[in-house]
Amino acid sequence: MDFLQDTLASFVSLVPVTLAQSLILAFVVLGIMIPFRMLSFPDLTSEGAFPLGGCVCGVLMAAGMPPVPAILAALLAGFLAGCCTAFIHLRFRIHTLLAGILMMTMLYSVNLRIMGRSNLSVFGSPTVFDRVPFLQPGFPASKIVMAGAIGLLAFLLLLHFFRTEKGTAVRAVGANPEMAEAQGINVWLATIGGVGLAGAFSAASGALMVQSQGFADVNMGLGILINGLAALMIGEAIVGKQSVLRQLAAPFVGAVVYYQLVSFCLAAGMPPPDLKLATGLFVLAMLALPSLKRSRGPAPARETFRE
Amino acid sequence: MLEIRSARKVFYKGQADEKIALDDLDLRLETGEFGVVIGSNGAGKSSMLNAISGALVLDAGRIVINGDDVTAMPVHKRAMRLARVFQDPMKGTAASMTVAENMLLAELRASRRTLRRGLNPARLAAYRERLSLLGLGLENRLDTRVELLSGGQRQSLSLIMAVGGSPDLLLLDEHTAALDPRTADIVMQATVRAVEALKLTTLMVTHNMQHAVDFGHRVVMLDAGRVRLQIAGDEKKAVTVPDLIGHFSVKTDRMFLAS
Repeated sequence: MDFLQDTLASFVSLVPVTLAQSLILAFVVLGIMIPFRMLSFPDLTSEGAFPLGGCVCGVLMAAGMPPVPAILAALLAGFLAGCCTAFIHLRFRIHTLLAGILMMTMLYSVNLRIMGRSNLSVFGSPTVFDRVPFLQPGFPASKIVMAGAIGLLAFLLLLHFFRTEKGTAVRAVGANPEMAEAQGINVWLATIGGVGLAGAFSAASGALMVQSQGFADVNMGLGILINGLAALMIGEAIVGKQSVLRQLAAPFVGAVVYYQLVSFCLAAGMPPPDLKLATGLFVLAMLALPSLKRSRGPAPARETFRE
Repeated sequence: MLEIRSARKVFYKGQADEKIALDDLDLRLETGEFGVVIGSNGAGKSSMLNAISGALVLDAGRIVINGDDVTAMPVHKRAMRLARVFQDPMKGTAASMTVAENMLLAELRASRRTLRRGLNPARLAAYRERLSLLGLGLENRLDTRVELLSGGQRQSLSLIMAVGGSPDLLLLDEHTAALDPRTADIVMQATVRAVEALKLTTLMVTHNMQHAVDFGHRVVMLDAGRVRLQIAGDEKKAVTVPDLIGHFSVKTDRMFLAS
């Protein structure tokens, strides 16, 4: 009984901090979902774009740049990284996954070059989280409000975009590239733009994370991809993915639920080193579910991804 | 009007298994003319269609549509002028998107896509009306994802998508070959109705000799990457299935079955 009480007590006390963190990391999940689901382009760039955004933002803040331009610069860097991955795939016909691995490996060196060392403290620099009215800066509430507001804005903009004529064309590229091309859609432009956009979101997440935690670190992206994927799977399991609305809501819902789950596991005494194994097994189970179901029921449509 | 001028394409050039797909092929189709292309497997029918659509880059020769040279244009640019229905019903539609979204993609084939909302009430009403012409009930399934439709329904949808917006050139690539006879008949009838109503310049590849006899203004027989025979005008009206089969240098089982 004591164990349960202790676990619950420490879990509840962590809820606000975890919520703030998950709303910031929701942008990475968004950056993983857009290429994966909208473009059928399994993209690993986020593992490098997240710390890239953090490093760019950290260096610029240390140099005295205000927080918003620093985030915008990180956004641009992430966009370029995403564009490069898509270009490598399209131009040299390299498998999407390999293109992503190449990019994230190269980005590690780039990130080190940008910072000049492996970590950088920006503690005390002004951040976007200081700007929330009525709330004391630095506390989870201000982070929740600010990250939540930016997330809502991104959600609404994307929801509008993917229902416009251009956005529908981008989704068609993911659904059937050959058909999209035959319908006059520039597959290169849509893929590069879409993966670039995803990179921008991943980098924005890294930048916000640096402003939230007060330091940048080249290793801050380690495992972000598998965490993001797990969050996406949970989100899709909860809200579904049948419509643009649901598909876009999934990353946000998934991020919030997933990080609370992680926090609960840690509060319950799960050793942190086991976390990645557990997350990996969870993602595996979610991905394996359709093929497990198939052995019983009728065969569902197989998911196809670009190679 | 479509003109193919001395189109040449060689696969595996300089290797032991070199294959001449198109051997200085010339073909001309007048505006509003319905051409039917026949030929045994490997005669160059698909290569020719791919060369017209831009999916295949020619080694030499020119493709001219309505007087404009499109030889250097990529597939998505040529899409402004031509529409294509593939043999495989999966290829011509976006499976994970809805019927209405597929119609929208086709409608925007020849125009600039904007940042305005794609599916508005006016468009949905127009799609409903156009799909009702098929008589397959697709007009009530605008929000259904295309992957849930049958092969025949998907192919009918592909056809409606292709003929919408009256393309300068319509390419039909054995578009009824993957369907059962009854569905194939429905799709073929719908094709002929649309082509005649809109007076579309059409090039149809088929292995079905009866279709080649029944439809079109001109029969073009390909062999080894060249036009071996063209029958048009009154001669076309009088042609029979055995006549056509008599011209094949290599007869396949499929043609014997057809005769």
